[in-house]
Amino acid sequence: MSEPATPGSRPLRRPLFQKYFLVLFVAVVVPLLINSASETWFSYRDQRLLLSERLRAEAGAAASKIHGFLADITDQLQWTVQLPWVAGGEEQHRLDILRLMRQVPAILDVTSVDGHDIERLHISRINPDVVDSGIDRRGDPAVQGARAGRIWYGPVTLYEGSEPHMRIAVAGSREIDGITIAVINLKLIWDAVLAIHVGRSGEAFVLDDTGRLISHPDLNLVLRGADDPAAARLNELRVLALAHGGVAEGSDAEQRSVIAAMAPIPGPNWTAFVEEPVVEAFASIRAALWRTGYLLLAGAVFAAGLGYLLARWMTGPIRLLERGAEQIGAGNFAHKIEISTGDELERLAHRFNAMAGELAESQERSERIARLKRFLAPQVAELVEHSDHEGLLDSHRAEVVAIFCDLRGFTSFAGVAGPEEVIGLVQEYYEALGAIITRHEATLTCFMGDGLMLLLNAPVPCSEPALRGLRMAAEMQQAVNAVIEAWRKRGYAIGFGVGLAKGLATVGRIGYEGRSDYTALGNVVNLASRICAAAEDGQILIDAATAAEIGDAFPLIALGTRVLRGFAEAVPVFSVATQQEPANAHEDSTE
Amino acid sequence: MTVLRRSVIAAAATLALPAVALADTAKVYRVGILSPAPPDQNVLGPDMTRAFAAYGYVEGKNIVFLRASAQGNVSRLPGLVDNLVAQHVDLIVTGSYPAAKAAKERAGNIPIVVTQSGDPVKTGLAASLAHPGGNVTGVSEIASELTAKRLAVLKEAVPSVRAVAVLWNADDFGMTLRYQSAEAEAPSLGMLIVPLGVHAPNDFATAFAEMTKKPPDAIMMVTDVLTNLNRQSVIAFAAEHRLPAIFEYAYLVHQGGLMAYGPNISEIFDRAAELADRILKGAKPADLPLELPTRFDLAINLKTAGALGFKFPQSILIQATDIVE
Repeated sequence: MSEPATPGSRPLRRPLFQKYFLVLFVAVVVPLLINSASETWFSYRDQRLLLSERLRAEAGAAASKIHGFLADITDQLQWTVQLPWVAGGEEQHRLDILRLMRQVPAILDVTSVDGHDIERLHISRINPDVVDSGIDRRGDPAVQGARAGRIWYGPVTLYEGSEPHMRIAVAGSREIDGITIAVINLKLIWDAVLAIHVGRSGEAFVLDDTGRLISHPDLNLVLRGADDPAAARLNELRVLALAHGGVAEGSDAEQRSVIAAMAPIPGPNWTAFVEEPVVEAFASIRAALWRTGYLLLAGAVFAAGLGYLLARWMTGPIRLLERGAEQIGAGNFAHKIEISTGDELERLAHRFNAMAGELAESQERSERIARLKRFLAPQVAELVEHSDHEGLLDSHRAEVVAIFCDLRGFTSFAGVAGPEEVIGLVQEYYEALGAIITRHEATLTCFMGDGLMLLLNAPVPCSEPALRGLRMAAEMQQAVNAVIEAWRKRGYAIGFGVGLAKGLATVGRIGYEGRSDYTALGNVVNLASRICAAAEDGQILIDAATAAEIGDAFPLIALGTRVLRGFAEAVPVFSVATQQEPANAHEDSTE
Repeated sequence: MTVLRRSVIAAAATLALPAVALADTAKVYRVGILSPAPPDQNVLGPDMTRAFAAYGYVEGKNIVFLRASAQGNVSRLPGLVDNLVAQHVDLIVTGSYPAAKAAKERAGNIPIVVTQSGDPVKTGLAASLAHPGGNVTGVSEIASELTAKRLAVLKEAVPSVRAVAVLWNADDFGMTLRYQSAEAEAPSLGMLIVPLGVHAPNDFATAFAEMTKKPPDAIMMVTDVLTNLNRQSVIAFAAEHRLPAIFEYAYLVHQGGLMAYGPNISEIFDRAAELADRILKGAKPADLPLELPTRFDLAINLKTAGALGFKFPQSILIQATDIVE
């Protein structure tokens, strides 16, 4: 649609479409965003918690597996201290211990101490056995530890700086019972550690209370000894985990970024660790984040679509209304705004349409009134317009009072006077008459130069039309006299005459499309015209019918009958006595 | 548990094999295996092949073994090493100290995994167990200590034994260390060592003659390629002269020897294969600690004992991990 240069079609600073679109978009996206963000945050927290819990549980399971490995050994060792030491009983003890070593490959050697803490047996897989060495073992921390707490776990030592070993001592329940001290090759925990799997590629490892690596799926790490940097990294993980409630993030031996959980292994005071690569551990969290991202994107697209549609839905009808208003403004009242949204906008459109109809009607009426005002007094015109008495203007026969008036001596005046003077006189003359005609609600049917014709009782009936006409005539005469007095003084002989007649006439509009006048046709009109012609300057003549109606409301002077042109018989004529009866009032006057 | 683990690894390796084959079709590893002995019950044989298979190496597919045997002649080892180097091997696995020594001296930077070579730290092949340094790693044997243990086990089985004839390859430093250890420990066990060092296969006749002339109470054979080549005659001589004999490895008991005490050979090969696997995958031997055996086998042959007319005491039966009926 081409935009005409009307004020309404200036480029919009903030179009409604933009606003609606923005508001709707924001209304959908912002809650979605807040919801997603909070959801993500909580889910992340939960997942994180869950992960920590899972790893803790795995660490616990790993710890109990390692503990199980050690408990198996201590249980077996326990059997060897059941038998009391008696003289010559070494052989039985030795057989017990040999059986034990046959069953537990991790035991490298065993030392048996009797109830007096004297070493009685030393059985090794590598060295020849020693029986009854008689060494006093009272100072041995293993003996002291076992006496104090039944089971004693020694510190981890590295054989030749490489393979980890540990001594375990088990004492019998009675004071007299012996103590068995076994050297355990901790390399054999490897099988247990290797069997622990965490997630897809996570693993387990074991550190002792000083942070030294005891067991790891990569055996080489363990065998490289205490000063290995990879093993040191694992100890850093332990320090971190201790500081963070058992779960920590850090880098493992292979410098992978991992999340690790720890669990204590009771007894030797070791710690079991499980670690899972961060990438793997957070896979589900990452997946959830992606999911949220996709959802958010979908939500935003949906919101944009919805916002666009709703904004269109809102602004479309508004555009229609705007276009309609333009059309109506341009005078196209027949334009109909078609909106069927079923809401306020539709109602507004109906209002617009109704308004256009009313405007059309009002314009039509005002045009009509303007037309009426050409021959009716404004108030009468309004009355005719508003009283639904359109029929008043229809042709019909009615009893009317016709009034004619004109200037005397005007023709000769117009001949000698300049055009400005002529127009000036006529102007003053009609201005003086107009107000009076309007006040008396007379119908002006036509101008004829210096004369005019008025009707009373048509088209709007009035009471006592003759009396009213006569009063009006008297006033007119008075007013015109004031006007012409000035002109007389300037040397122009100008007079004014009025004629009234009452009778039936055909009234109605005559003319053609766009140019019609209201008028009366009939004898009474001719009569009034003739009587006016017969009137002398300053004289108001009336016919018998008028006179009859007037009665004695005005002093009338019967002038007898007069022969008037167009009338076969002589017509009785009356003169109205006014303040200044002209000198030649009784003279016959003809045209 | 170890066996189970190995089979699990083997299964995993078999499953992973197509992928490995696809990814590394170009890469076929060349592993030289150097031993003074012919390929039967030693590092050259099927046991080592099986150990490699557990780590996903299939001979002819992604690994080629270049077996180099000195056929009992230790002096041929340097030439064999040169030959392996010329064939651009990625790795050399050695059996015995002389093989390890020859490889270390002549193979330049080629990684070496040693087995059955005594204690590599003591023999100077490696700096320490934890950090071998250089290009040598592998499995150490607690060999010298075990010699004394072997004597003790022998005495426990046959308490009357006093004089023990020790047969060893006097040209092999690792083996000599074992003899020396026996000599040092014998008095504390109330035993007497009759040293019968040999240098060549022909020396065995001399040794047998000496034992015939002055019979010992028992024989201890220190196993190396030379003695191993003559194992049948040693077993036969012991049977003939009704002498209890103790060896180092269980397979000799299966071949008629009375008893053997020593580290588990499958474990040694498994550890060696794992170290080789790591090296082939890019690890440096210097960073791979030497490993010690953790499992020890006591093998006894009841038939041979019966032939000798004695019964193993209960304590030996309890300890035996491998009993030949």
